[in-house]
Amino acid sequence: MSAPLITFRNLDKWYGAQQVLEQVKLSLYSGQCILLAGENGSGKTTLLKILAGLETPTRAEVEYADTTQPWKTAVRRYRREVIYLHQTPYLFNGTVASNVAYGLRFTGLNREQQQQALARGLVWANLTEQAKRPAHTLSGGIRQRVAFTRAWVLSPKILLLDEPIANMDDASRKQTCDLLGRMKSEGMSIVITSHDAQPFETLADVRFQLENNQLRPCELHSTARESV
Amino acid sequence: MDGLLGTTQQALQLLLTGNPELWTIVGVSFSVSLKAIIYTTPVALVLAFVLAYLDFPGNRLLLSVFNSLLSVPTVVVGLLLYLLLSRQGPFGDLKLLFTQTAMVVAQMILCFPILVALGHAAMQAADQRAWETARTLGAPPWYAMLTVLYEVRFALITAVLTGFGRIISEVGASMMVGGNIMGFTRNITTAIALETSKGEFVQGVALGLVLLLLAFLLNFLLGYFQGKGKLLA
Repeated sequence: MSAPLITFRNLDKWYGAQQVLEQVKLSLYSGQCILLAGENGSGKTTLLKILAGLETPTRAEVEYADTTQPWKTAVRRYRREVIYLHQTPYLFNGTVASNVAYGLRFTGLNREQQQQALARGLVWANLTEQAKRPAHTLSGGIRQRVAFTRAWVLSPKILLLDEPIANMDDASRKQTCDLLGRMKSEGMSIVITSHDAQPFETLADVRFQLENNQLRPCELHSTARESV
Repeated sequence: MDGLLGTTQQALQLLLTGNPELWTIVGVSFSVSLKAIIYTTPVALVLAFVLAYLDFPGNRLLLSVFNSLLSVPTVVVGLLLYLLLSRQGPFGDLKLLFTQTAMVVAQMILCFPILVALGHAAMQAADQRAWETARTLGAPPWYAMLTVLYEVRFALITAVLTGFGRIISEVGASMMVGGNIMGFTRNITTAIALETSKGEFVQGVALGLVLLLLAFLLNFLLGYFQGKGKLLA
């Protein structure tokens, strides 16, 4: 296996006197999908948000771009490579197109290039016909697709998804898994939290269980131990 | 009853014939209050955002102070500012007492806590995911803040309208630091107080009608924007 994109070590998180994550170590590889399981309140979302730079760990070291640094220093460098998607995606007031285009303005692309990236994204997720629809009128499945497309157009190296198929019907689940499969095949590193492992059996390469504040490998695939 | 009806008819005539003295007073009112709300809003909303999204020592205390200041009497603000701006006061050299600038400052002090408290409430009610989504999509903190402000814009417009309603209808502070000088610092409320004390009710009623009309308009807009906010939630 090639070198990891990023490795988190000695990751601890305390909320006051309560510890939720203890000595977590996790390496993320390009084109790999990690399934993260655990009971409600086990710290899955907290871990994803720390990986995304949205929450601060009590302590953590990050190995990124051949250097090991404290989380606080490293997050400034790797933040742009990581996108976190909520369980229920948040869409800004506006149209599907304005949502998909949101992050493009921070990429350094000029206006024309942004328009091209937007058009590519809409085609990629089959959203061209919905481009002008107000976001607040969309169904759950399409909202999820818009959120995926909004992330995809930014070409992140790492995608973190919190319970992406919770409360979805079978058709929407399949669509979501298809999109994730395409993202993985493009080389994205994907981390998914889910109670239900079954829909991700073909997608996931590695499975971890978050138990007693610690991350333990599970027997989904034989490569599991390589990422710890 | 006849007296009231007659006075109201004369007041309407005064309004409709475009009485210059009366419309100068209305102009001073709007000029002062609009300046106060425009100068105050950006700072107050940024502070409201900081209080809602950043956890720092003294956060709750600061919020409690602003909540307490919501009900500060206007004459107390007027008195405090009078003491600061009077010739013997620390800012006496600025010679701002009995000027429109002093009235603007007084009204800024009055609407600042309203904008902070109501803005903070709006932002606390905002979905935390808006901030997180903006940040994870690469928005720098200042842009993510603008995104959150835009997401709760109807609640913020409501806060601004409430603040404007408070300052355009206040009388105590404007009277004390403005001095009620005709054509210069006499606004709607100070003019009504003066005319009533003189027993000249026609101009007072006419100006009262302008204030009432404004109150209806503000309430209509408040209802409209609150409804808009619910629709998009």
